[in-house]
Amino acid sequence: MSGLGTEQAKASAAAAHSGASAAEVPAPLGLYVHVPFCASTCDFCAFYQTQPTAGSVDRFLGTVRKEAELVNWDRPVHTVFWGGGTPGLLAPRDLGRLAEIVRAHCAGVPEEWTVELAPTTVTAERLAVLREAGVTRVSLGVQSFQPALLEALGRQHTRDRIFRAYERIRAAGFASVNLDLMFALPGQSEEEWAADVREAAALAPDHLSTYCLTFEEDTKLWVKLSQGRVKLDPEHEARLYEATWSQLEAAGFAQYEISNFARPGHICRHNLNTWRMHEWIGLGPSAASQHGGWRGANVSDLDKWWTGVERGVRLTEDRVALTPRLLAEDALIFGLRMNAGVDLAAWRLRAPEAPWATVEDSLATLAAGELLMREGDRVRLTTRGRLIADTIGTEIMAAFEPLLETA
Amino acid sequence: MPHQLTRNFCIIAHVDHGKTTLSDRLLEYTNTVEQRVMTDQHLDAMDLEKERGITIKSHPVTMRYHAKDGQVYKLNLMDTPGHVDFSYEVSRSLAACEGAVLLIDAAQGVEAQTVANAHLAFGQKLKVIPVINKIDLPSANLDLCLKQLEDILTISAEEAILASGKAGIGIVDILEAVVQRVPSPRWTDYAQTRALVFDSLYDSYRGVISYVRVFSGAVRAGEFMLLMSNSAKSEIKEVGVFMPKMEKTASLGAGDVGYVVSNIKDPSEIKIGDTLTLSAKPAAAMLPGYKEVRPMVFCGLYPVETSDYEKLKAALGRLRLNDAAFVYSSESSVALGFGFRCGFLGLLHMEIIQERIRREHDVDIISTYPSVVYRVVKHGDVTIEVDNPVNLPDPGEILEIREPTIKAAIHIPNDSMGDILALIMEKRGVVDHTDTLDATRVMLTCILPLNEILVDFNDRLKSVTHGYGSMDYELGEYRAADLVKMEILVNADPVDAFASIVHREKAEGKGRELCEKLADIIPPQMFKVAIQAAIGGKIIARDNVKEMRKDVTAKCYGGDISRKRKLLDKQKEGKKKMKQFGRVSIPSDAFIKVLKTN
Repeated sequence: MSGLGTEQAKASAAAAHSGASAAEVPAPLGLYVHVPFCASTCDFCAFYQTQPTAGSVDRFLGTVRKEAELVNWDRPVHTVFWGGGTPGLLAPRDLGRLAEIVRAHCAGVPEEWTVELAPTTVTAERLAVLREAGVTRVSLGVQSFQPALLEALGRQHTRDRIFRAYERIRAAGFASVNLDLMFALPGQSEEEWAADVREAAALAPDHLSTYCLTFEEDTKLWVKLSQGRVKLDPEHEARLYEATWSQLEAAGFAQYEISNFARPGHICRHNLNTWRMHEWIGLGPSAASQHGGWRGANVSDLDKWWTGVERGVRLTEDRVALTPRLLAEDALIFGLRMNAGVDLAAWRLRAPEAPWATVEDSLATLAAGELLMREGDRVRLTTRGRLIADTIGTEIMAAFEPLLETA
Repeated sequence: MPHQLTRNFCIIAHVDHGKTTLSDRLLEYTNTVEQRVMTDQHLDAMDLEKERGITIKSHPVTMRYHAKDGQVYKLNLMDTPGHVDFSYEVSRSLAACEGAVLLIDAAQGVEAQTVANAHLAFGQKLKVIPVINKIDLPSANLDLCLKQLEDILTISAEEAILASGKAGIGIVDILEAVVQRVPSPRWTDYAQTRALVFDSLYDSYRGVISYVRVFSGAVRAGEFMLLMSNSAKSEIKEVGVFMPKMEKTASLGAGDVGYVVSNIKDPSEIKIGDTLTLSAKPAAAMLPGYKEVRPMVFCGLYPVETSDYEKLKAALGRLRLNDAAFVYSSESSVALGFGFRCGFLGLLHMEIIQERIRREHDVDIISTYPSVVYRVVKHGDVTIEVDNPVNLPDPGEILEIREPTIKAAIHIPNDSMGDILALIMEKRGVVDHTDTLDATRVMLTCILPLNEILVDFNDRLKSVTHGYGSMDYELGEYRAADLVKMEILVNADPVDAFASIVHREKAEGKGRELCEKLADIIPPQMFKVAIQAAIGGKIIARDNVKEMRKDVTAKCYGGDISRKRKLLDKQKEGKKKMKQFGRVSIPSDAFIKVLKTN
């Protein structure tokens, strides 16, 4: 574990760097578009996706346009993120059409516009269309540089394809490039993972996301896990986390969230805004929104989604009303995942009705156990705390409902 | 029928020596029960009794037998519980008889319980009729059995009857022997009515039904009875006999065995061994042998699910109705919540009650470490009884702690002698003397602290003797010992459920074992958690619970928030079911697991 001093210094720098506090208005607004098409399903993927059929892309684009018309755009969009699925599976012409819909709701060009691309979809033509449209950031789904692991994950690309794709993206001149990597893959050794991180850093991207493999329900990996063919090993995963963090720090990438690292000036603002419990609008099947007083997700079914929108209805799931108290709770649970932590003062102002006394007790307990640090009104997790951020999340959650706790 | 034509007897035997089968043959032969209903009838016992090969409740039966002398006799067969925990009940059933058929398995020979039962019967001055059973087995060894009869039980081999309950051999011989050798009912000319209460049954409509053996006088409906131990008075509503079903009769006379229904609704008012007399003309003296039965082994019983508390309470209440020897009172534990302190006659009794709660009442329960009743002598010559380590006074107040001992008869094959002696030594026992049973077996008579045999003694005995060893015991005297209270601390807080009274020399080993188990079973914690064993504040063993290393979701973006909240919510609900020890959450089944692995 690194000394608290360094960690505090780093976190303070990150806090200063990330700027705005929760109390400021108007809060940034994000736009997420879910492109639900994939050529095949990866073993680890739990995102909603389907194979494109003749006419389905056209209908998808038409429906996104209609859905956008159903939204109450109360202010211009600041950041855009296209995810999936595989947005790069769209033909260049279709990418252009989707970009047009998006731009209609931005005041000029958004500050940050990210598109996720799989290495196999990266062509000069697509990149040109995106660059032309105003996309500022490309996130490349590398996952691994090891051929055997790529194969095992069911990915379609080869190692060479990654390098070619990266060169093309750099050549197209995007302001920011991210590489996605995965670790704790079945059969992956600690050395193999360190080699992946080394290779990724050597490419000198602006941003890196490293994801510990999660076993999500409804994935092929889950099936394997539940049949005992894949074993979870938290100790091994913890070591990989720690190794990643120190390796990337040494390579000049500052960690700003559990799984995210950036060179100065390249933090993903779209994601930062979600962790700060600002607002965003989601278009497309399964896309989540937090906007206009509610949080929820579009129905995770292409058919249901477009039939609904065509009737003028956005069918949503898990819909909840947003209250300052809920947002304050989530700002803590999700904000503590960031190295900069959370500014309690701003949230205390915004949600005075929240049970702050219990929350403070809980935070004090966490601090006593060296899982959390406190500096004035700013709280953040220690390295050890960050590794058990979910458990800490449940503690925070419990603290927010003291009336339901029985002695 | 004059009492001269009545015989009251019982069958006593070691487990599995064929008592039930032989009883059935007697009932069949005397046409007490028709053959085709026989199976249903005799199986009218609890599953548990069958499984463990023991009888928990006594069921008397009255038979009519046309003897070779031309007379018709009334034979009352008393059943006896087959385990030492119920030795007082056995003694009361025996006291209701004048004779006992002692069964010996021809292939097994004399075993621990055979000896214990024979001694109980001699103690009640019963005429003992030895019967070598299962003589049709290929492995039967008649010569050995007859020799053991003479050598160990000092009964003449000439008296032995050869029989097989299964094959129906020797049944008439046994019935004839009962008629010829068992004396007719004793103490019939006592001036007042006296009947021995040897068992009772709770009936939700009729209240408490007493099983009685009338010694003198008569009892009939409409009269007022008096129970001599507590002077409880009640009108007799009905009397009757067991044929084997209850059959109402006008009266029960001297020598008769039957039942009495009165106005008494509270089972605790009817005490086994009590003397029933008539309040209009009460007896001057009770029948001999009455004792207040006192539980010897205690433990806490808690529902695994807190919501089952009421269900458990109701279950205990119902069990108590038919088992006056079982006592309970409510208690609470920091670790386990609300539950009950329960007292039992012995280990088997404890296990049976626990099993019945689980099976018949469908309540999942957890038991704390069993404890015996200690006598603690305090300064100022005050002695208190302590059945829960939590109630042990401060060491400064204690002058001496005395623990109950048992006198055990342990039958083992010669070749396991070394292992058994080591086991007895480990359990702080002393061998008093050794008897040779035959060429391959010996009987050790030893004194052991009761506390030491509570948990695993019998299992270990069976294990080192490959199942051939057997043990029977009677309670012995209280003896002073160097005993201390050992506490288990979780993050420096004592956990009451794990407190125990142990011998000082064994504390460290036991403490280390408990700490290790707990540290292993408690799931990884957010904070550092120490598990310690302590005696009077002095730490004698410690271990650490594993620290939680990794519990974090990798991807957590806008679309993941709702799903993540649901997952965290589930985790949080799980945590609510845990017991809080300061900053530490411990699932309640962690305690259960530790107690179970003991």
